[in-house]
Amino acid sequence: MSNPERLRISGGALYDPANGIDGAVRDVCIEGERIVAELPRDAPRLDVAGMIVMAGGVDIHSHVAGPSVNHARRLLPEERAIDPVPAPRLEDGTLARTGTGGTVPSTFATGYRYAGLGYTTAMEAAVAPLGARHAHAELDDTPILDAGFFVLLGNDDYLLRQIAAGESARARDYAAWLLGVTRAYAIKIVNPGGVSLWKSGDPGRRNVTGLDDAVGSSAVTPRKILETLCAAANHLALPHPVHVHCNNLGQPGNYATTLESMKALGGQRAHFTHLQFHSYGGERGKPWQSAARDVIEYVNAHPETSVDVGQVMFGPATTVTADSPVEYLLATSTGGGRKWVNVDIELESGCGIVPYTYKEQAAVAALQWAVGLELFLLSTDPWRVVLSTDHPNGGTFLSYPELIRLLMDRSYRDERLKRVNQKLLAGSALLDGLSREYTLGEIAIVTRAGPARLLGLRNKGHLGPGADADVTIFASDGDRAKMFATPRYVFKAGTLVVAEGQLRRAPTGRRLAVRPEYDTAVTKDLRRFFDAHATVSFDNYGAEPVA
Amino acid sequence: MTESPIEHVTCLGCGCACDDIAVVVKRGRIAEASNACTLGAAWFGDGVVPAEIRVDGRAAPLERAIGKAAELLIGAARPLVYIAGDVSCEAHREAIAIGDRLHAAVDSVAATAAGAVLAGQRRGRATATLGEIREHADLVVFWGVDPDERYPRFVARYATAPGDLGKTRRVVAVDVGASRGPKDADLRVAIAPSDEVDAIGAMRATVAGRDASPARFGSAVDLSRRMMQARYTAIVVDGEPGAGAIDPDRAETLIALGQALNGPARCTLCTLRGGGNRSGADAVLTWQTGFPFAVDFAGGPPRYRPAGGGGSAEALLADHEIDAALVIGAPATIPGPVAEGLGRIPVAVIGPRATTSAVRAVVAIDTGVAGIHEGGTAFRMDDVPLPLRASLDGPRAALDVVRALRDRLVGGAR
Repeated sequence: MSNPERLRISGGALYDPANGIDGAVRDVCIEGERIVAELPRDAPRLDVAGMIVMAGGVDIHSHVAGPSVNHARRLLPEERAIDPVPAPRLEDGTLARTGTGGTVPSTFATGYRYAGLGYTTAMEAAVAPLGARHAHAELDDTPILDAGFFVLLGNDDYLLRQIAAGESARARDYAAWLLGVTRAYAIKIVNPGGVSLWKSGDPGRRNVTGLDDAVGSSAVTPRKILETLCAAANHLALPHPVHVHCNNLGQPGNYATTLESMKALGGQRAHFTHLQFHSYGGERGKPWQSAARDVIEYVNAHPETSVDVGQVMFGPATTVTADSPVEYLLATSTGGGRKWVNVDIELESGCGIVPYTYKEQAAVAALQWAVGLELFLLSTDPWRVVLSTDHPNGGTFLSYPELIRLLMDRSYRDERLKRVNQKLLAGSALLDGLSREYTLGEIAIVTRAGPARLLGLRNKGHLGPGADADVTIFASDGDRAKMFATPRYVFKAGTLVVAEGQLRRAPTGRRLAVRPEYDTAVTKDLRRFFDAHATVSFDNYGAEPVA
Repeated sequence: MTESPIEHVTCLGCGCACDDIAVVVKRGRIAEASNACTLGAAWFGDGVVPAEIRVDGRAAPLERAIGKAAELLIGAARPLVYIAGDVSCEAHREAIAIGDRLHAAVDSVAATAAGAVLAGQRRGRATATLGEIREHADLVVFWGVDPDERYPRFVARYATAPGDLGKTRRVVAVDVGASRGPKDADLRVAIAPSDEVDAIGAMRATVAGRDASPARFGSAVDLSRRMMQARYTAIVVDGEPGAGAIDPDRAETLIALGQALNGPARCTLCTLRGGGNRSGADAVLTWQTGFPFAVDFAGGPPRYRPAGGGGSAEALLADHEIDAALVIGAPATIPGPVAEGLGRIPVAVIGPRATTSAVRAVVAIDTGVAGIHEGGTAFRMDDVPLPLRASLDGPRAALDVVRALRDRLVGGAR
């Protein structure tokens, strides 16, 4: 099919929750890169009668580009060897690029595979500032997706020094400067203070355990880091608030830390990511259990708080995170013999990588799977509880269709539940028989409209006039996994990129970045700091082109 | 270009990628590269490079040279794209695109450190960016390497501790046969090359709490105890081949030791790598294909055939599999065995000093040197990306020429 400048997509059932449309048959009109209200009657037409029309998918949290992701790719040649990605033959007869898949695909394959699922926007969730230039270069080689990244703060020496000195205004100016020079989209906090301790080599204190542990100076605590950066993001009116990976990820009993973190930022906009990994009851040395209900009830009651779930899906995954002390525990707690990468990143952050397979018959993996589903099913506001697997940590983005089926199809879910290890599931609401089934409208919210709204992307996630013409069209199928895995058509900025399940075009995506204003006095102090501590010149730092 | 110094210039003379060089240009030549070491000064030189284009040894216009290179590659049954040194990551990206389209084998100078990278693929590794050594390491162990020789500013820039740490830090030289650590180390440990891997094994056993080592490993075992008592140890080892033979298991056993030391203490294993942006070639090939070197597009999607798999440029050339090659980068940086193999087949070279190279090329197109005549991105040995700055006008940019060749071969499609 050709790619006309104007196109009327007609006869489909629209799921456009941002505009209050829940399955009504409506036309969608595309002119150039945008959705428009109307087109002349003789405009070219794509008949999609009987099909389901949604906006392009928006992934709020995924690891797809940058130094950590590339370390993960390099670490696992064996999984790539069994998943070759041939070059797609495009509409104009040319071949696109080849690549490899596995849990951490090569850049071109990442773009093609996301588009193949009907996703047209993705946020890389953790880039150390020092790696920003690298992350942008990878995104330049990741076709189709409009993409940006969250820049890591919260374990960086300069910030901790400002907090120690009580310089919150300067901390804010620094954050604004950093977002600009790295061309980032939002502030990411990972295990505030914990990574800094891990890197310090203090033998008695290899991580923080709670919000009020001192990090270096007694004036610096995880709580203080969260408060400082949350206030900065909101003061700077960033489109997306602080994106928080809480302390104590993956630890039994960590739900208490999670709730405390949410309360610490109570009343202010904040996003808490991969909540599943932070919603466990029990305590160290005792059996784990689900604490999903406690955590989601808080979220339900607090409209300023948003989350993505970070669902665990059975099968191979790669855990890759800036939370390097956690990866040390994972690498050493599973009997050894696993590959393990740790990279301490000077003055800023860390990186840890451990390949991992979630097995149905493993008690902890089954609990994690159940906790994620509980969070989804007990959520009362899909706009604030959105879909992620923390790709590739809980599973790859290719598992989203299967996850959607679990949410939409109770009998399928119950059948899967019977097959998993039950040992730690006592107390899980899932065992009580949660009957909820997500509707198509709710799926459109948690995969599109919700993440777009939480990210402050006004032209994404919906199909109203002025929106980017990112449109996904599915042939209806009772097997929702199959339906969501193989959209019939995908448009990106008005370009038909997927037709009949085949990649037809692979245009370059746009970069999503912010450039907040700040008092430039901070750069004078930063220059001094760089001269004393950094190994990269201040003028070469970040991701801006140099003269 | 300007006569005033160009500041914050990144040097690709070795993998340190020092980015504090100030280049002074006078009358079209580099008069001074301040802060540069002797190796860096030699790398910058006076910045004068040839700017010629030759086809079959005779001067030719660019268009014809590109046409001829395209012809050579399209006509090849089994082409090789080899990425040499001194080109930017932006040029790497184009070079790999050409390899992808041609169903070529692709390899690069990054493969000189294949041993270290392959060991990392088997085990992972506990490492750090170089600034962490300076900020945190209270014990620095140079394992059979004195960085002064091939990485002259490594110690000054990355292993000289500030403040109180500087007073308490201890430096250990592990001398493995003739491969000796720094002369001014606080402590020396001598290990016979034939004992090296076993000694590292004994150290690792000690760290793991198993303690039954032969007496001749006593000083190595003592060192491992010292490492356990330190807060943060940096083990520095050379990833590039040197004069002496290195036990093929050294890289992996050192990785295992470094990882194990993160139980009782913290430890980073720092692998020194050479210059010319070879770490960048590794990074770009990894993000585009999933593999760091020895990639083969012969069957379409990339296949990985590293050392032992027969897919390295050296092995393919030695096996007479390759019938034409494209070299992107400075031919002078190509390792001997690869250069030797290239000497037996028709080659097109696009890169700095292509026309004066010892590799006899059917097509030779001189370009600027990345970091001297053209900008872009390069990677430090620890995978930190750095911008390159042009301080001098030079011949046509390598990126532009490679892109023109790619457009000729691929038609500009993505």
